[in-house]
Amino acid sequence: MNTAGTPSRAGPLTTAWHRWRYIVDPAILFAVVAILWEKAVDIFHIKPYLLPPLSKVLAMMWERRQLLLRETWITTLEILQAFAWALVCGILFALLIHWVPTIRRTLYPLIVVFQGLPKIALAPLMIIWVGYGTASKVLMGFMFAFFPVVISTLGGLAGTSPALLEHFQAIGAARGVTFRRLLVPSALPAVLDGAKTAMPLAVIGVIVGEFVGSESGLGHLILDANANARTDLLFAALVMISLVAGFLYLGIELVARRVWWRAL
Amino acid sequence: MACALSLAIETIPGIDLSVPITRNVVAKLRPIASIGYDPEASEVFAMQSVEHAVAESLLVKPSADAGDVAIALRDVAKTFAVRDDEVRALERVRFSVLRGEFVSVLGPSGCGKSTLLRIIAGLIRCDPGGDVEVFGRPRVGVADDTAVVFQSHNMLPWLTVERNLRLAAEVRRMPAADIHQRVEALLPVLKLEAFRHRYPHELSGGMRQRAGLGQALVLRPQLLLLDEPFGALDALTRDQLNVELLRLWQEVRKTVLLITHSIAEAVFLSDRVLVMSERPGTIVDDIAIDLPRPRDPQTTKAAPAFGQYILHLNQLMGVK
Repeated sequence: MNTAGTPSRAGPLTTAWHRWRYIVDPAILFAVVAILWEKAVDIFHIKPYLLPPLSKVLAMMWERRQLLLRETWITTLEILQAFAWALVCGILFALLIHWVPTIRRTLYPLIVVFQGLPKIALAPLMIIWVGYGTASKVLMGFMFAFFPVVISTLGGLAGTSPALLEHFQAIGAARGVTFRRLLVPSALPAVLDGAKTAMPLAVIGVIVGEFVGSESGLGHLILDANANARTDLLFAALVMISLVAGFLYLGIELVARRVWWRAL
Repeated sequence: MACALSLAIETIPGIDLSVPITRNVVAKLRPIASIGYDPEASEVFAMQSVEHAVAESLLVKPSADAGDVAIALRDVAKTFAVRDDEVRALERVRFSVLRGEFVSVLGPSGCGKSTLLRIIAGLIRCDPGGDVEVFGRPRVGVADDTAVVFQSHNMLPWLTVERNLRLAAEVRRMPAADIHQRVEALLPVLKLEAFRHRYPHELSGGMRQRAGLGQALVLRPQLLLLDEPFGALDALTRDQLNVELLRLWQEVRKTVLLITHSIAEAVFLSDRVLVMSERPGTIVDDIAIDLPRPRDPQTTKAAPAFGQYILHLNQLMGVK
């Protein structure tokens, strides 16, 4: 019980510092890795076409910033679309499975079987089916991200406290009220966990889609740089991908913080 | 505190304070209620089985005082299917509870007393052949005249105490102004005024149960069903909450059915204690607790009759 609002002996300064350490500590680690990368290339005489030094990658990023930003923008939009579709469809599908026994018995096993397929193997097919454009990349990202959302939403719905469900029954709550006021907030933490898993998977799916057939995007840029033996440009694209994936994940994390009852 | 409490209750509009009628009915039905504190315990309880017969006759002829009967159960049985097997939880349960009575159902754990409460609440149906009537109407589902408090508190973790108190009333679509008024009146009674903006996990177990009770009280039910509401608490907190529950009840005198496995709790709180057998549960005894009201922990528990009731119930329940 922390009803007294225990004043921390250390004072506000320490609390602020404590919060800063969540930014400072990883920053230090990143700096150490960056220095190691830079120096290791020198010390071990690694050939630049195998691993260019960080400074060269950064220089390349600056030099080709327009190209990089354009391709990153394209890929980011594809990822966001794939993720949004996966989230919406995944949640809706989970609700259908939760509520409609027929779907649980028919469509659900079908999706589970489909889930077992290596989705990378489907990429060429997607290109044939929906073409070289954005749609095939979004579809790939969607296929990667969809299932984790379904599974975690189902878990969240099933994890609703039976005592609270009975309580809602006892106060005569209609199905819609129980859904809105009990099931949604109960399942929300699990759905957000699912979203955290799904976001990097959407990134993977989109990049795979771009690998298989595309004229734009970071995936295409990587293949292009590789073909021209421009390892520094390849690394620049990799840095951009990890930046995008990192920021998108951070976005979900910030939303998830609003669902504070998850840890209770 | 008692004074402040009664003041607070009186300011809640709509609570019917004119209940002596019910008490008179009970007295009429029990002409031998004057046995009081006979030191000869055996005699006391022999006479009480006569009372038991009186209560039974009330059941058989409900038309006599139909308006005064809150709960009437006839031959209620419940069988659950457990995998390929059947478990008989309740068998031929019959009893009635009068309006304004505080009745406890006392039984060992697993005897089906919670099942009984769920049947009366309308959460589950009894086996065909049995009859459950609440306020003269057959119980076919949950109804607005009844509120239930379960052992596990009914608080949503993402709502503050105040919003949790409003929840049940909001779900039952009470007017917002009414809900506001009732919650404001209840918060001081429940001693939760300072904690209204806290979340459940920030409260002690006792506070949480008080808030759980408050959720039911906001509904102003005619029938309050309590399923070991304080069962998960330590003995001290539990006693304290029982005293508060009794105070609340003494003000409003609504019908209360309490499920418990604590003999002392049942005797201290109730007008009648129904004793349940082990599974399949059935009512094996119906004991009127003739201790004067208002009761308080000091005088009531010190009364010789209190000890005798406990002794007798101990024997009935096979505690050696």
